[in-house]
Amino acid sequence: MFKLIFIKELKEIIQSSRFTISFAVCSVLIILSFFMGAQNFLASKAQYEAAVQENRNQIAANTEWTMVEHTISLPPQPLSTIVNGISNDIGRNIEMRGRGELRANNTRFNDEPIFAIFRFMDLEFIFGIVLSLFAIIFAYDAINGEKVSGTLKLCFANSVSRATFIGGKLAGSFVGLSVALLIPFLIGCALLPILGIQLSSDEWVRLALIILSGLAYFGLFLALAMGISAMASRPSNSFLIGLVVWIFAVLIVPRASVLISGRLVEVPNVDEITAQKNRYRIQLFNEDRPKMANFSVPDGTEPSEVMSLFSSHMSELSSTRQEKIDAFTERINEEYANKRKRQEEVALGLSRISPTSVFTLASTELAGTSLRLQNRFMDSANEYQNVYSNFMTEKTGQDGGGGFRMIMITSDDQEEPEYLDPNEMPQFEYSRASLGEVTENSLIDIGLLILFNLLFFGGAFVAFLRYDLR
Amino acid sequence: MQNETIKQAPLLEARNLTKVYEDGVKALDNLQLTVHPGEIFAMLGGNGAGKTTTINIFLDFIQPTSGNAFINGIDANSDPLEAKKNVAFVSENVQLYPNFTAMQNVDFFVRLGGKSQYKRSDYEDALVRVGLQREAFDKKLKDFSKGMRQKCGIAIAILKDAPAILLDEPTSGLDPKAGKEFTRLVGDLRDEGKAILMSTHDIFRAKEISDHVGILNAGVLVARKTNAELKGVNLEELYVEYMAGYMEEVGEPSALINNLS
Ligand SMILES: Nc1ncnc2c1ncn2[C@@H]1O[C@H](COP(=O)(O)OP(=O)(O)O)[C@@H](O)[C@H]1O
Ligand SMILES: [Mg+2]
Repeated sequence: MFKLIFIKELKEIIQSSRFTISFAVCSVLIILSFFMGAQNFLASKAQYEAAVQENRNQIAANTEWTMVEHTISLPPQPLSTIVNGISNDIGRNIEMRGRGELRANNTRFNDEPIFAIFRFMDLEFIFGIVLSLFAIIFAYDAINGEKVSGTLKLCFANSVSRATFIGGKLAGSFVGLSVALLIPFLIGCALLPILGIQLSSDEWVRLALIILSGLAYFGLFLALAMGISAMASRPSNSFLIGLVVWIFAVLIVPRASVLISGRLVEVPNVDEITAQKNRYRIQLFNEDRPKMANFSVPDGTEPSEVMSLFSSHMSELSSTRQEKIDAFTERINEEYANKRKRQEEVALGLSRISPTSVFTLASTELAGTSLRLQNRFMDSANEYQNVYSNFMTEKTGQDGGGGFRMIMITSDDQEEPEYLDPNEMPQFEYSRASLGEVTENSLIDIGLLILFNLLFFGGAFVAFLRYDLR
Repeated sequence: MQNETIKQAPLLEARNLTKVYEDGVKALDNLQLTVHPGEIFAMLGGNGAGKTTTINIFLDFIQPTSGNAFINGIDANSDPLEAKKNVAFVSENVQLYPNFTAMQNVDFFVRLGGKSQYKRSDYEDALVRVGLQREAFDKKLKDFSKGMRQKCGIAIAILKDAPAILLDEPTSGLDPKAGKEFTRLVGDLRDEGKAILMSTHDIFRAKEISDHVGILNAGVLVARKTNAELKGVNLEELYVEYMAGYMEEVGEPSALINNLS
């Protein structure tokens, strides 16, 4: 009996004009999104390669390591083709310094602001917005539509249990629609190598996981809409309710959670922090003023001796100041990072009320374009900073931390200046998260997607068991 | 005929059936009726008399407030899945899946009725028997007229081959010719031994084929006549009086009963 209802539901969907139209639209959108994603990735890759090459050229044009302005760049993530995440929003280049804070700049959207207005149409968008809407369009009248049209009565004039009926309908529509959706996805995946996107076996697994979580996300909206359809008396009502739920899940909750978390956890902005650091620096300098003024030497000290004593006095003061500033900066940065992390956690926690946020978090994590991308990039850069600092110290005697440079150029007409070899500069490697790591990190969200499914399937089930069949 | 059927167990039985809806409307008041194999029982009544309510209780779409409905001796509301194996149903307005062809619809509903052994030719025979044109077999239901849908409905009921059949105003809205064909089919099914409970507001049609006629007014079975008893009655007069009696909400059915007896 289950199989019979399952197959009927499947056939009914496939034979409907609703299906024909939305299948065509979805297929075009999905394949288009693969195309656009690939274009976007290739453009990012070209920019990355150009930046790296530019940096090498710049090194090669120098004769002194002290003159080098070394920049490291974040390579684009291949799976950002599918799920952009924050990859277009974060700075991709960091100007290297031997010590001190590193700052990433040059976001993709900064370079091409037009994209920032309309964003890209990636798979996360297609699933999150388009397919969830289609799920509602397909299932909003699954139950009450059959009641209004009268087929429900004719079905239940037979020896059919309600559980079998709703189970068959849910399974039939889910399988029918997801198999249909898989077709353009598979076409899109097959297109990737042709479009010039080479994925490692790791990344194929992650891509498969993204698509599976997308289908789970689609399924939960289907079950949700069917549940609503078994609770509202008329299809027009259930469509309206479904639409309102959709608007909340897709548009309101994710944004509201960020706003609310901003209220709940106060985090000073970056400018405030910089100002705070500067104030402290000035304060310390003012405190040192009397000490500088009180510099004195025993009478009869040689002038050259005085000079060197003064210089060491000043540098002593300066280095204690620097130590204090470093400690202060470290503390304030840590405080800032902790607060920001808490705010993020609150925002993410709140947003997980919405399945759409859960899917976004899961898919960006799997694609390697989640919030962690920025952290990983900064971590990699900070690690590299040590390597760079050691290298510069070895080459120049200074750690390349900035400040004043004294350069003595002794011109000797006989000798050609020797240009630097960029290959000597240690390579920056962005350490990508492993498959194990990303699956572990996305486990909560994948679990939540499954939980939402169970919840909504269960809800639809219960709603139908109590449904008035007349 | 009556003497024979009394010995057999009834296939459909309403015992002290009362239904009071949540809003307090008493749709059925202590209804008693039995339908034996090879019998047609016509439930006659105007709009709101309680006909659909009765059939809905037999199909377990609603629960009776008190009393029981039995199909083949099985309580329809405590063991509906078992009870419904013994009954086929044709509604006032048969609705099938609009995107399926007649064949696909018949196939689905007949299988749902527990019959999976049929071949296409069996479906064709049934559809021919109910008078559906062959050209329509593979057309989608959305292009069907009401008469064509009723034909599919009765074909499904025939193929389910259950011992009891519930018909809820099956001929309302059909043109006279289609109504007559439908009535003839119902008569044939009775002759095959089915127990048929048919609700209708058409007293002429009821008299034409029924073995028993019960007149339902505001949930009360105010009169019960055998076909033989209806023979001498002036139908037109009865009809007008009966309908008028209902329409004016007289609520006092004695005149009607006097006329009948
Ligand atoms: N769901 C319901 N809730 C309340 N009253 C109802 C409901 N369904 C039917 N009724 C009332 O019960 C009475 C009998 O209705 P019904 O059995 O549909 O009549 P019929 O089929 O003979 O036209 C009517 O007065 C009708 O208004
Ligand atoms: Mg009715």
